[in-house]
Formats: sequence, structure tokens, C-alpha cells
Amino acid sequence: MGDALRTQRWLRAVVGALALAMIVFQAMAVVVTEGHTALITRFGRPVRAATRPGLHWKLPWPIDSASLLDMRRRVYETGHTEMLTRDKKNIIARTFVVWRIGDALSFSQAIGIDGAAEAKLDGLLTNAAIGTLGGHDLSALVSTNASDLQVDQIESELLTSAAPIALHSYGVAIEQIRLERIALPEENVTAVFEQMRAERRQFAAKFQAEGDREASRVRSEADLEAARIQAKGAEEEARIRGESAARVAKTYADAHRLDPELYRFTRSLESLDKLVTGSTSLILRTDSEPFSLLENKGGK
Amino acid sequence: MRRTGPPSEIGRLAAPVAGLLDAGWRRMHWWVAAMAVLYSLSGITIVRSDEAAVVLRWGRLVGDTPALQEHGPGLLFAFPRPVDQVVRVPVKHVWEVQVKTLASATVNSDSASGLDPLTQGYALTADQNIVHLDMVARYRVRNPADWAFYGPKSDILRVEVTAAMVRSLGEMPVDRVLADGRKQLIATATHRAQAGLDAAHSGLELSSLELTRLTPPAELATDFDSVQSAFIGMETRKKEAQTYAENAIPQAQAKAAAAVQSAMAAAASDLATANGETQAFLALDREYRAQPAVVRERLYRDAVERAIGRASTVRWVPPPIGGNYHGFRITLQPSGSRPKTGDPDEGGGDPE
Repeated sequence: MGDALRTQRWLRAVVGALALAMIVFQAMAVVVTEGHTALITRFGRPVRAATRPGLHWKLPWPIDSASLLDMRRRVYETGHTEMLTRDKKNIIARTFVVWRIGDALSFSQAIGIDGAAEAKLDGLLTNAAIGTLGGHDLSALVSTNASDLQVDQIESELLTSAAPIALHSYGVAIEQIRLERIALPEENVTAVFEQMRAERRQFAAKFQAEGDREASRVRSEADLEAARIQAKGAEEEARIRGESAARVAKTYADAHRLDPELYRFTRSLESLDKLVTGSTSLILRTDSEPFSLLENKGGK
Repeated sequence: MRRTGPPSEIGRLAAPVAGLLDAGWRRMHWWVAAMAVLYSLSGITIVRSDEAAVVLRWGRLVGDTPALQEHGPGLLFAFPRPVDQVVRVPVKHVWEVQVKTLASATVNSDSASGLDPLTQGYALTADQNIVHLDMVARYRVRNPADWAFYGPKSDILRVEVTAAMVRSLGEMPVDRVLADGRKQLIATATHRAQAGLDAAHSGLELSSLELTRLTPPAELATDFDSVQSAFIGMETRKKEAQTYAENAIPQAQAKAAAAVQSAMAAAASDLATANGETQAFLALDREYRAQPAVVRERLYRDAVERAIGRASTVRWVPPPIGGNYHGFRITLQPSGSRPKTGDPDEGGGDPE
């Protein structure tokens, strides 16, 4: 019986202590999770911000109260805004910012715990963009010449012109400002189209001309080369024929030199052979050989 | 029931609760014990194969470096709430998002030729041409802690990719963008977008960026096509000329070689003929030297016979008296087939 009584007393003590601990914890502990800040107010007046994640303490209600602010980074895109570059070109630009609550106290005072910071940022960013881009030519944004491009510089100028104000006035820390869009006003697009079209035509004509030129170059070069090869061949041929004629002549000459008289005689006979063809009429004297034989016979 | 302490207000107020507690304990103490055990084990979490988990103790990340903070798949032992909180993040999962901020609107019912930048997405190239592009980005979580607590929850991927692409296009002329510069464009844009994602502590990794469509404005499509076909035409003409050249030169070579060959053949044959004839002449000469009169007579007669045999007409005239023909005339007919020779009887020839 004494055992049961002791258990009972022990149990009561444990339950009582636990209940007390839970009440105290609930009333005084502030658990700040990663990515959050607890803003602690005393009778409604912000006194401090617990920025480090972990367990923090406050006085119980109604003296202190805590509210958690989400310190996570957020993205805000401004509207499309028409502006003028330094070289007086109209462009439409859109920027986006990555921001977070930089100073929980001033943020909560300027904007409220879950207020719309973005409405306040919009004007600030638009002004910064108009001011910054007005100091640069359009070629700083788009250019074939790499040394003209100054996007990094423009973005850092935007940041230096907007970030301090945002932090000071609204407790908003702007971490990035980037140009998300660079476009042209609708009424300027027609001119751009015309320019693009002209450029395309020029390209087409260029390709056409280049094709013609290159093809005719290749052809005429080939023709020239072919003529050169043929001329060389003809030269070689002529040389061979000439040499051959000389050799043939020498061969004949060497032989005929041995007996010029016989040569002359055989050549005369050959000429006779060649001259007398099927259409030749021969007129012979009856006393010439071999018919002189008949004549002599008949005559004697 | 014996009172265990001095009677007090608190004791009296707590009496019904204590009674309830006593009764509850007596009836369900096993249940209570089991619940307590279950609660103490409730922090144990199973991390699935495509996940990583981070543990928050009193709201604060456990571990100093990302490597120590991150727990891989398997059982993760943690204290029950409110001490520990386990956040699981699907790190292996690859998400896909279509980025259409620079894409042309699907149906352009606008009759005006201009492009409204608010409704029509496009970007400017370095040479101030306009292109539309559709992108698909694939990404995954690289740093679970940043992703879960510090990075922007939404939009960051789309805006960073758009900004990176707009900037990268602004450095490249349209002809490179539409032709061989595409790979480089994607590489630069991916690199820039990743730098932006890192700067924003998004904890995301852009694993790939794809251009699913990259076109000039629809109005200029035919102009761009005509450049393309002009380019192809140029290549074709060049190739044709090349083919011509490749044929013409071997043909010329073949012709030249043939001419040289035939000259060489002719030379060889001429020489052979000359040699043959020379040999024949020398042989004849030997005979001739031995018996000149006989050989000469035979040669002469052979030749005359051949000539007479071949000639179409042979006429005989008597030897003139006194060695001269007077008034002897030969009339050749135009056909030449039958020349008339002088014939005293017919009056064609009139020898006196």
C-alpha cells in the first residue's frame, strides 16, 4: 500500500512539473528557425530582433510578444517601363530584384510584418532604372562590339542607386538587380523589321554574288589549267614528231648516200608509180619500150 | 484517502485532477507508457532514396558545413518535436520548367505589324535583330538548406534564365544565334543563370537549358528563308564548279597523254618503216652493184608495166619525123575519162 502511495505521489509530481514546464516554455521561449527572425515587442513597441536561429527567451505575455518574420530571399519583377537611353533611343526595360528583409525592425515599422514591400520597391527600382539607363547608350546593352557592353556596370549602378535607399527607408536588403527584358516600343518595331529585311536581302544578294564569283573562278582556273596541260602535251607531241622525222631522214640519208644514183633511179620509178593512177591517160610513142618491139617487127 | 501534505488551496483545486490522474493511471498505465515511448521515437525519420534531410534543433541547423548538415537516404535519428525538426528535400529529383518569357504569343491576331513587348516575348540580338525563343530548363536542388530556408521560393529560375538569355543574346549577332552560335549561346546563358541562382542562395542547380524554338519574327520568316536558300544555292554552284574542274583537268591530261602516245607510236612506226626501206634499198644496192644493167632494166620495165596497167587510157603516137611534132594537139574532155589523142584520120590530131 505504501508503494502505491509513493508511485502516486511521484506521478503527480512529474505531471505537475511537465505541465509547468510546458506553460513556461510556451510563454517565454521563442524558437527561431533557420531563415527567420523573431521580432520581440514589449507592450507593442519593438525592442529587439532575434536574428540567429535557435532558442530565444522573452518575458511572458502580456509584456513581451514575438512574431516571426520570413527572412527568405524573394523575387520581385518590376513592370515594363519605357525609358530613354543616352543616345535617345526608346527602350522598354524590365528588371527583377532579389531581396530579403535586411533590418527586421525598420522593415516592420515601414512596411509591417507581412506588408507589401514590393509596391514600395517598384517606384524605387523604376526610378533607378530610368536614371541609370539614361546614362548609357543602347550599345551598352546590345552590341556586336564586346567592349561596348556594360551590363555588369549598369546592374551594379542600379544596385548602388537603389539598395541603400531600400535598406534605409524600408529595411529591405536588395541583393541583385538584373535586367530581365530589353525590348523596343511597339511603334519602333516596324523600323527594326525594315532594317532586318534590308539586311536579309543584302545577305541573299551577297551569297548569290559570291556563288557566281567563286564558281566562275573555279571554272576558269580549271579551263586555264586544262589548256596549259594540253599545250604542254602538244609541245611534247611536236617534239617527238620532229625528232622522229629527223631520225627517219637520217636513216634514209645514211643509206642513200651509199649509192645516190640508184636512189635517184628508184625514187623516179616510185614517183611514176604514184603519179599514174586510174584516171591517168598515157600517151606513148610507139617506138618506146616495150612496144618498140612490135614496131620493129612490123617495120622489118 | 490520507492527505500527503498540509492542506492548501492548490491542493484542494488540484484534487479532482489528481483523482482523474490516479484513476487514469490505474486503468491505462500501459497505454500511457506506450504513448510516451512512441513520442520519444517520433523523431526517427526515414529519408527516401531521392531525398536528403536536414535537422533543425531548436530551429537551428545541426552541422556547420553543408556536408555535415545534409543526411543521405536511410534512417535518421532525431529528437522528437519541439526539439528537432527534420526537413526532407528531394535532391535527386529533376524538375522541368518551360520558360516562355521570350516566346512569341501563340496566336498573333494583332493586325498591326508591331510587336507589343507586354504580350509578345522576344529578345534583341547584338545587331538589334529580334528573335523569339522558347526555353526548357531542367533543375534540381543542390543545397537543401538554402533551398528550404534562404532561397526564393518561386520565380527565381524563370527570371534568372530569362535575364541570362537576354544578356547573352545581346552579345551575339543574329546570324550566329540562328546558325552555329547556338551552343555557345546556351553555354553562356547557363553559366550566367547559374551564377545568378547561386548569388540568390536559391540552392538550385540548372542542369540543362534547352532552346526548343528559336525563330526570327514570323513576318520576316520568308526573308530569312531566302537567305538560307541563297546560301545553299551558293554552295551548290561552288560544288558544281568544283566537279567541273575535277573533270576538266583529268580530261585535258588524258588528251595530252593520248597525243603524246600517238606521236610516239607514229615515230616508232616511221622509224621501223625507214629501217625496213633502208634495208630493202641496201639489199637492192648490193644486187645493183653486182649487175647494174639487168637490175636497172628489170626495175624500169616493172614500173612501166605497172603504170600502163593502171592508166585508164593509153594512146600511141608514132615517132615524129624529124624529131618534132607540128600541130599535134591533145584535147582533154571535161570528164577526163576519155582524153582524145591526136588522130590524123579523125582530125583530132593533125600531124604534118
